[in-house]
Amino acid sequence: MTIIERRDVPPARTHGPRRWVGQSIRRVEDPKFLRGRGGYIADLVRPGMLHAAVLRSPYPHARIVSIDTTAAEAMPGVYAVVTGAQAAELTDPLPDFGPDPAKHTWRCLAVDKVRYVGEGVVVVVADDRYLAEDALALIEVEYDPLPAVVDPVRALDAGAPLVHEALGANLAYDRTFDFGDVDADFAEADLVVRDRLRWHRSGGQPLETVGAIADFDPSTGQLTAHTNSLSFTSYLFMAAATLRIPANKLDIRQVPAGGSFGSKLFVTKPLVIAGMCSRIVGRPVVFLEDRVDNISNCDHHGSDRVYDVELAVMRDGTLRGLRIDTIDDYGAYIQFGVGHHGNALAQVTGPYTIGSVRYRVRAALTNKNQQGAYRGFGSEVNNWMLEQMVDKAARELRMDPVEIRRRNFIQPAQFPYFIPTGNAYDSGDYEAVLERALELGEYDRWRAEQARAREEGRYLGIGLITAQERSVFSATEFWFWFDEPGAPVTSMPESVTLNVDATGGITATLYSCAFWGNSPETMVAQLVAEEFDCEPHDVSIVYHGSQGGLPATGPGGSRTTVMLAGAVEGASAKIKAKARRAASELLEVDPDDLEWTEGGFQVRGVPDRRKSLGDIAIALHLFKHTFPEDIESGLEESKVFDHPWTTMPSADRSDLGVFYPFMGHACHVPVVEVDVATGEVRILAYAAVHDCGTLVNPRSLAGHIVGGTAQGIGTALYEEFVYDDHGQLVTSSFLDYTIPSAMEVPELRIDHVETPSPYTPHGIKGGGEGGRMMAPAALNVAVNDALAPLGVRVTELPMTPDRLRAAIRAAEGAPPG
Amino acid sequence: MKPPPFRYSAPTTVSDAVALLVEHADDDPRVLAGGQSLVPLMNFRLAQPGHLIDLRRVTGLDTLRLEDDVLVIGAMVRQSTAERSPDVALAAPLLAEALGHVAHPPIRHSGTVVGSIAHADPAAELPAVALAADAEMVATGPGGARRIPAAEFFLGPFTTALEPDEILTEVRFPPFPGGHAFVEFARTHGNFAIVGVAALVALAGGEVTRAAVAVSGMGPTPLRLTAAEEALVGRAPGAAAIEAAVDAGTAGLAPAGDLHAGAETRIDIARACLRRGIEGALARALDRR
Repeated sequence: MTIIERRDVPPARTHGPRRWVGQSIRRVEDPKFLRGRGGYIADLVRPGMLHAAVLRSPYPHARIVSIDTTAAEAMPGVYAVVTGAQAAELTDPLPDFGPDPAKHTWRCLAVDKVRYVGEGVVVVVADDRYLAEDALALIEVEYDPLPAVVDPVRALDAGAPLVHEALGANLAYDRTFDFGDVDADFAEADLVVRDRLRWHRSGGQPLETVGAIADFDPSTGQLTAHTNSLSFTSYLFMAAATLRIPANKLDIRQVPAGGSFGSKLFVTKPLVIAGMCSRIVGRPVVFLEDRVDNISNCDHHGSDRVYDVELAVMRDGTLRGLRIDTIDDYGAYIQFGVGHHGNALAQVTGPYTIGSVRYRVRAALTNKNQQGAYRGFGSEVNNWMLEQMVDKAARELRMDPVEIRRRNFIQPAQFPYFIPTGNAYDSGDYEAVLERALELGEYDRWRAEQARAREEGRYLGIGLITAQERSVFSATEFWFWFDEPGAPVTSMPESVTLNVDATGGITATLYSCAFWGNSPETMVAQLVAEEFDCEPHDVSIVYHGSQGGLPATGPGGSRTTVMLAGAVEGASAKIKAKARRAASELLEVDPDDLEWTEGGFQVRGVPDRRKSLGDIAIALHLFKHTFPEDIESGLEESKVFDHPWTTMPSADRSDLGVFYPFMGHACHVPVVEVDVATGEVRILAYAAVHDCGTLVNPRSLAGHIVGGTAQGIGTALYEEFVYDDHGQLVTSSFLDYTIPSAMEVPELRIDHVETPSPYTPHGIKGGGEGGRMMAPAALNVAVNDALAPLGVRVTELPMTPDRLRAAIRAAEGAPPG
Repeated sequence: MKPPPFRYSAPTTVSDAVALLVEHADDDPRVLAGGQSLVPLMNFRLAQPGHLIDLRRVTGLDTLRLEDDVLVIGAMVRQSTAERSPDVALAAPLLAEALGHVAHPPIRHSGTVVGSIAHADPAAELPAVALAADAEMVATGPGGARRIPAAEFFLGPFTTALEPDEILTEVRFPPFPGGHAFVEFARTHGNFAIVGVAALVALAGGEVTRAAVAVSGMGPTPLRLTAAEEALVGRAPGAAAIEAAVDAGTAGLAPAGDLHAGAETRIDIARACLRRGIEGALARALDRR
């Protein structure tokens, strides 16, 4: 095995005692939401505001022959009717990070042809949404239907209908990466475990869909927009370019997301539609997706993969190498490229010492809504794939599923550990997590219960999995796919400004993170309180719109808390440096003789000679002449915090560098009962133990774990965007797209192990996606464990009654073996 | 997801409501009760009635009473009211049990028993209950009221024997001295069921004397499984009789598959629900003696 020299491991930090970080405090965000004062898009009414509605394509693939908007335009209450062709005159293509965007041009409305059911064709602006939808019904579009490409494997066949003629194929990306000596590991293996696995698409389901209220002021050329999808803030100049307005004339104001789960990551289409319409009519225009718009046209469907996997193992259970060949159905466009597979490559070998990986990824384009982001961003699919393979290896070796995992764990002394792809795992203690999960999940008791139930003809299964929870992405995961990327890699910074007013009150300004269901305000309040020894709920949190804002990126990849912690730490250090100097003037001592303690600076060892932050602040704000010339009035500092540990990939991409280094870990232990007569899966118990480093607010993290696990249960058992063989979307509402409710989601038993990161403030790692990164794998393992006596192994998610019954019927019909 | 324009009337008497149906016959009028099925269909523009005739202000339609042993439910009785009614629990426990499976509590607070039956969704619980219970439908039109047996009421998906100028004003549930069970299978709690089974059995002298079994989700209407009933009657309650009834009851079924269950799985699930439904009804019938 090649040993790669590692440079640039950041200096390890020591973490001191903490007062507020680690406390379960009430969330700062809660009171406004509980009082109905969150201010969602649907709550915001601007004077003179008009409403937009979009005509959706009923066809998966068709040429647009003609569009007659005469009747709609003549309807009273209608202000504008804009076709895709007209929109293309008014706006540029939408921002697109995919490979070679010119070959699959993506616009806010379809031009010339539609490529999936639900793609926007015409937008109408009217007095209200009712009238706008009435007008849509008056528009006549003549389509010339084309054969649709639905299956991602067949999409790659020669002669398949082309989604984008300019691309010349439906293969948007194809590359094979070798990490480590794959051939040697497979040549020396005692056993190669093989499987074909299928993960169907699902997606985040926000309570409020994506919306934007755009207000164009023709007198200044300024476009002010309230939208709930503000993220990748540093890239909003791209949205301005699409709208053909100067970036410094676009101000995006944050609106709480009403749930994102990834699905609002850099969504620009509603903003562009509303902005274009506002510019046309000269009045504020709101476009808020309805549920059908969102399900069919949100650009944020989740991963949709076919895997052919081989795992090289030794007879003693040692896992040696992985060969992964995956085709991912990206739908009709590919806005984030194959970044989802960067996510997978960040933790492709899981918590195990697997030494080599061959990874082939092919991105297929089909006549479906495109992929975007969904909690896990593709890493959850990798976790599922790997755990199915490890589980299958245990069965084939007749090994205990706990033992095979334990035997292959990376050990605490091995960190920082570099996996074959080049990514680093900063720290971990997987054995400790496993032990706690076995205890919390009452593993031994359930194994006994399972045996007892079998005698009664009942099928119980226990789904133990151990998997990774990467956090704090670096943009390299979007970048290393290309030999000659179009630009250097960005550090995806995040910024905070801290202002101490004349009374010592602290205001923190955030530049990107609207409330996504995460808790940026609570996190910042706790982190500020930790720095300044104040009460978290006394910290005021405000958001700065994009215009004139500091560099910011926003939520995604479980980065918010770590990045905000870095920014708060940096801004606090600047505040304290200025305050120290001011205090030294006020106390007439050397700055080095002062120490920060209990909310102020005091002379070392002399507690009665001190100045509180309030004392210092009022002097700095009001009594400038007390200080030397070079001390400016006021007490406000900002910190732009860049990604703390990114290294460059090698030129040949045999090493992708460090790009997702703060590595959490979890063990989930669900117990299920499968009703073999109906194919129903019931969850009898569920334990989850996570280690995402130092906890900031255990209560809000538990909320992440519960919510993420509920979504993972949806992915495992209920949720799928189904396109039929002709490309028709047959799950366009919650009638058919079934999501688990409180009745399906069990009470979780949750606990944590804390292995602080040596490289982040306080040792924090991100934990926003962990539940969904574990639950699909765990439930699949559990169901397979339940059905093992019948010889049934399920390799496709979601595990619907139909799929389970089909598998059971096939096993019943199969000759005994 | 907004409905197209429609007209709206809120009459106060049944005869006015019927008169409005006649008067606006050319405007595709629809009767509105709880609105839990019709209004979503309108929002999706799948139903586009020109005129809604709201029954909420019509006096006398919220009746829920026993006439001798017959339970009479008026057109505006909310599902949650019936679900909690001691009269329903006593006189039509099958209906009471089925109501707990209808959607979620907030929907049952608005939705009506009679409205659900008149809507005639082949996947819905209450039409199957009405069919198993041999309920009588009271249809009121310009010429007055007539009674339609449940067996003649359901003609197809969302299609009933009601004339365009008739309103389903009452449903009458006769008593059934025996055991009951309503069993269904849905993807998630409160969602439309894939299969539902309504079962009633009576025992005497160690054998089944009477059985009524209906199933939802297995055809264009709820279906009465007379073959299953015949397989039960005259036999001792036990596994053999139940299996015979399951086989007989599902033998002729040819459901269409859909997104949630293919035809084969639908039959698998129907077999399981039928077995559990008959078992449950028999257990209660045994308790009752």
